[in-house]
Amino acid sequence: MSEILEKISTAIIEGDADSAPGLVQKALDQGLAPKTVLDDGMVVGMNEVGARFKRGDMFVPEVLMSADTMQAGLVVLRPLLAAAGVKMLGTVVLGTVKGDLHDIGKNLVGMMCEGAGFEVVDLGFNVPPEKFISAIKEHQPDVVGMSALLTTTMRSMGHTIKAIEEAGLRDQLKIMVGGAPVDRDFAERIGADGYGSNAVAGVEQAKRFVGTA
Amino acid sequence: MRTNYRVNSGVRFRMLSDDQLEELFAGVLHVLEATGLDVHHEEAREILKKAGAWVDGLRVRLPSYLVKRSLEMAPRSFTLYARDGNPKHNIYIGPGRAHFGPGPTCPNFIDIESLERRPYVKSDVPLVARVVDALTNIDFCESLGTVNDVHHDLGALYEFAGMFPNTSKPIVAWSYDWDDSSGIHAIAVAEAGGQQAFERRPNYVHYCEPLSPLVSTSEAISKLIFAARHGVPLVFTPCPIAGGTAPVTAAGIITQAAAESWMGLVLAQAIRPGLPFIMGGVLSIMDMNAMILSYGAPELSLMMAGLTELAHCAGLPLWQTGGCTDSKTLDEQAAIEGSLSCFFSALSGGDLCHDVGYTESAMTGSVFQLAMMDEAIGYARRITRGIEVNEDTLAVNVIHNVGPNGHYLREPHTRRHYKTEFWYPTLLDRRNYEEWEMMGQQRLSDRVVGKVQDILATHQPSPIKPETEKVIQEVLEAAEDRVK
Repeated sequence: MSEILEKISTAIIEGDADSAPGLVQKALDQGLAPKTVLDDGMVVGMNEVGARFKRGDMFVPEVLMSADTMQAGLVVLRPLLAAAGVKMLGTVVLGTVKGDLHDIGKNLVGMMCEGAGFEVVDLGFNVPPEKFISAIKEHQPDVVGMSALLTTTMRSMGHTIKAIEEAGLRDQLKIMVGGAPVDRDFAERIGADGYGSNAVAGVEQAKRFVGTA
Repeated sequence: MRTNYRVNSGVRFRMLSDDQLEELFAGVLHVLEATGLDVHHEEAREILKKAGAWVDGLRVRLPSYLVKRSLEMAPRSFTLYARDGNPKHNIYIGPGRAHFGPGPTCPNFIDIESLERRPYVKSDVPLVARVVDALTNIDFCESLGTVNDVHHDLGALYEFAGMFPNTSKPIVAWSYDWDDSSGIHAIAVAEAGGQQAFERRPNYVHYCEPLSPLVSTSEAISKLIFAARHGVPLVFTPCPIAGGTAPVTAAGIITQAAAESWMGLVLAQAIRPGLPFIMGGVLSIMDMNAMILSYGAPELSLMMAGLTELAHCAGLPLWQTGGCTDSKTLDEQAAIEGSLSCFFSALSGGDLCHDVGYTESAMTGSVFQLAMMDEAIGYARRITRGIEVNEDTLAVNVIHNVGPNGHYLREPHTRRHYKTEFWYPTLLDRRNYEEWEMMGQQRLSDRVVGKVQDILATHQPSPIKPETEKVIQEVLEAAEDRVK
């Protein structure tokens, strides 16, 4: 890895959002391709963040700073990637399902997905199936993520998946579910494609869906 | 500006009222004055007599003014130093500070590899010391056993020689006799850089144990005299058993134990005024059915709390007891008895809490119990640290900024405080079911064993000076010659 890519990766690990745009610009000035800066610098750093978090060497507030740093770098990189026809990792539509106002877990997944390089469309909380459907039509996401904290509202995820099927949109995307009471069995029962036992597992699931993990 | 604002900076508890403490104090003085102790040491009796004690044959009685004067002489606060100068391994003894460490002299040990109980041997000593060195909540070192595989007079010496190079945390050393004590002291002084340097920065404490009821044995007194003459901080700790060798009542055993310890105090201060003296007493009950001295009994914590309050009221630090169990193995009983006594000890603020890692009523030392208790002590310390209340921690502005339905994960306030406000376990499992399942469904005991083995595979304590290594060799060779 070249020195500048190493620096970018380190800035992401250390959550140094202030220096990220400058470093990315410097890498581009040195003639590196935008896709190289993304894959061999920023994503390398973010992968290390995920590994450290799993080991218990990094904590949520630090991971979020790293995600913010990733975002700060992407501000510089995104237009160039688009111009070069490079697709971002993918688009994720997220929401806490109807009847449930708890969204800290879903917010975490969103922030971490952004950090990983996804475009994230966050629909908020208490999101009815119709709103998911119109967002899918509008944003053409690769992944739809839904969450619920309550055992009383987790059923809503099943209703939403059914509504997506009925709207004829089910085949074009992957669905992942999460939230404290949700487990793999439940995810399978309601017809989701995947499940994350926590925010980081959710991001990894999303990455697997788009074939980058 | 705040005015007349009272701050509690930690969680503490107090069991005895001022009146009760005064009554206990008067009781101790009365026992020392009216009953006295048998002191089996001629020179000690002479020193005590010269200091103002009443001596009649073996029996020594102490006028209360003499006891009070000796209490005045002994410091409440002092520092025990890491042999390598690492300030993190220093122990600052003083009000509101609780420190923890293992105990000495168990005949058996739980083998590190086989996890079976067997006699304690020489090669166990360095392992215990290295684990002590690595555990963040263990502050001082003892060996958890009596070395069985060397000459029966040299166990204590080999023990110190094995501990000293393997931890830079202060050691509490026991010995059989004056010769042992001399050897131990020679090693410690070599590392400190001479007697004067040692006196300024003592790196070990001498442990002596008189007999209950009311006997100052020749061995205990001889070791005390050695410590006093050489400026070694001293623990003088009887081990009375309620209902057996002491009154069955908590107030009674506290009174007797204090009297037994304070005979040592008076002698030590007569020899060297101002010698750091750590008041002792391992107080527990004789289980009238199992016939053991119970190390897991709630009365142990209760009696020790009372003794701690009496010591602090008299201006002395205390040799506390906790983290021990009557259980034979690393099980739920060991966790309950050990954790509760650690917590109670931390709450009482007893100064040096020993016997962490004792199992089977002090018959078997276990480095696994020690490592499990390291976690319990961390837990207890988070609670006794209490909470801070000020403008910043009150966070009214942060609450306002985040508002309804926001979240605090991105707040600088969160980032600034989450590492110090929260305690992070190293052994207690908080993962979700799936991850726990993936990690092999480990029980706490599995994780404890893993941690100990990991420490032993990786942790290296800071080395001793080459000249100290030479002194250790010389001391051991001389000792072997002595017992030939």
